[in-house]
Amino acid sequence: MTESSNVLMQKGSLKAMGVLLFVIAGSLWALSIDTRFLYLLVYVWFGVIYGMFLQYGRFCMASAVRDLFAVKVPRMAVGMMIAVALYSIVAAIVTLSGFSTFHSNAMGWHVVIGGAIFGFGIVFTGGCASGSLYKTGEGNMNSLLVVLSISFAQAIIVSASGWWDSLVPQSWIDSAVAKDMPAELSVTQGWFDIFTAGYVWDLKGATTAEMFGWADTTFGIVVLNTLLTAILPVAILLVLLYAFYYRKGYLRRSGKTALSMGEEMAGMWAMCTSSKNTALAGIGLGIFAGLHMYVTGVLREYYGIMNFGEMLVAMGYTNGLSLQETVFDPGYWYITTQEAQWGGWVMQQLGVNTMDNIFFGLENGLPNPLLNAPGFMSIGIIFGAAVMALSRREFKWKLPNWESAIFAIVGGILMGLGARIGMGCNIGAFFATVTNGDPSGWVFLFGMVIGAYVGVKAFTKWMDWNASRNSSGCDL
Amino acid sequence: MREIEITGLGRVALVRSVDCIGAMCPRPQLLTLKVMGEVRVGDVVEVLSDNPSAVEGFPALAQALNCEHLATQRESGYWRMYLRKQ
Repeated sequence: MTESSNVLMQKGSLKAMGVLLFVIAGSLWALSIDTRFLYLLVYVWFGVIYGMFLQYGRFCMASAVRDLFAVKVPRMAVGMMIAVALYSIVAAIVTLSGFSTFHSNAMGWHVVIGGAIFGFGIVFTGGCASGSLYKTGEGNMNSLLVVLSISFAQAIIVSASGWWDSLVPQSWIDSAVAKDMPAELSVTQGWFDIFTAGYVWDLKGATTAEMFGWADTTFGIVVLNTLLTAILPVAILLVLLYAFYYRKGYLRRSGKTALSMGEEMAGMWAMCTSSKNTALAGIGLGIFAGLHMYVTGVLREYYGIMNFGEMLVAMGYTNGLSLQETVFDPGYWYITTQEAQWGGWVMQQLGVNTMDNIFFGLENGLPNPLLNAPGFMSIGIIFGAAVMALSRREFKWKLPNWESAIFAIVGGILMGLGARIGMGCNIGAFFATVTNGDPSGWVFLFGMVIGAYVGVKAFTKWMDWNASRNSSGCDL
Repeated sequence: MREIEITGLGRVALVRSVDCIGAMCPRPQLLTLKVMGEVRVGDVVEVLSDNPSAVEGFPALAQALNCEHLATQRESGYWRMYLRKQ
């Protein structure tokens, strides 16, 4: 390493230390106000850890599905499968110990449709919801634009009403009316309210163990939820990724025409370890995502609460709570809902009533961002990624050009729409679900794969069309 | 064509240089795919990128494109990657 590289590395490490000290100082300040903010700080620090691992492994989950079609590279898909396997094992231990905070998603057509719209959007934004957060931490302002677009798009989607309300089926409206919701939610105004109360609430969501009547049993948690719903599909997908994306090149490089079973296993191992950074990040993310549930579960028991809203009330903060006096508090890694809350809160401050709907008004609330615990997890991801990027000399301020800015805004809107229809993103609707035994996550992933396939085709056509007008998108 | 010095490999003749600085994924990957499809076996191509995620995936991309990943060299604020078509 040259002397100038050493100087840059030292400067980067000092800045990284500065960011870390800022988060530590902020944490101590919160605790000095009220020690119960420890609950919120768990989100902050797990966010920091997620951000560090995401940046370390350049763990962009968008590329897990996109790169399979764009360039036939399985690197991130393999990394994601490693993370799923590890998270599911830790989640099983957490569930067996009685501290799981997981709740299932409703299964229906909306999951695959939402996944497809989300999967289409991520091709154009250059990253998924968590990927955009960690890239923001690398100084990429295009990714920040994606985050803002996702935030405001979701807030508008869940609270707006207009002529499009008449597009929803009458049966949904009838079903929504029959739920007898409080008048202030005006559930028949706004297609998302009608969709939620008239369609989603009529569906069932369950883990595999619950479906077969083995919930809360060791057999159900270990065999049905973990082995059958997470580990087995992961093993099958790894074999398929190896067979369709890696084996041909592995054969060519080894100079053989056929492989023994032992050599096939060695090939699988080579595929899993082809990017050590990504594999290590997958292991770390899987373990810490499971631990996050455990720590939150323990704190909920310690403080005697089921939701952070109860703690906010006890501390005297009552603004922005839902009608049930709750706020969004999943207890595990989640991204899009808290981002929707940021957008909704800003709109509320600008005089738009964003609480007259089910999403904010009844379910998630609109707390001040300074009291939004999962929101701080997302901010923690940005800070954690910044710490890692600075210490590795990978932090760089990047401004979007017109094309990437438009892709960020439009792609972000599609990601927001897909996330709300599918009830989460690749983290909340896929990663956190399949690892806890809820098969709806695989349906969301299936939708994402379809969306990414169409997105790659559209993106490639755009690049070709653009290249035919100019000399090239990049100089050759 | 220009010649460059790659640490550990000596002087290598480049046939193309793909400047993807500032480009978001999947543009660097798709442009590399396009260029590698246009050059001849044995040709060496340089790809410039400041996208850490794209850089991380380049060795795997090289394998998928039947190329040899010769080296990744770090510059100030970006990386130079060298691929040889096999």
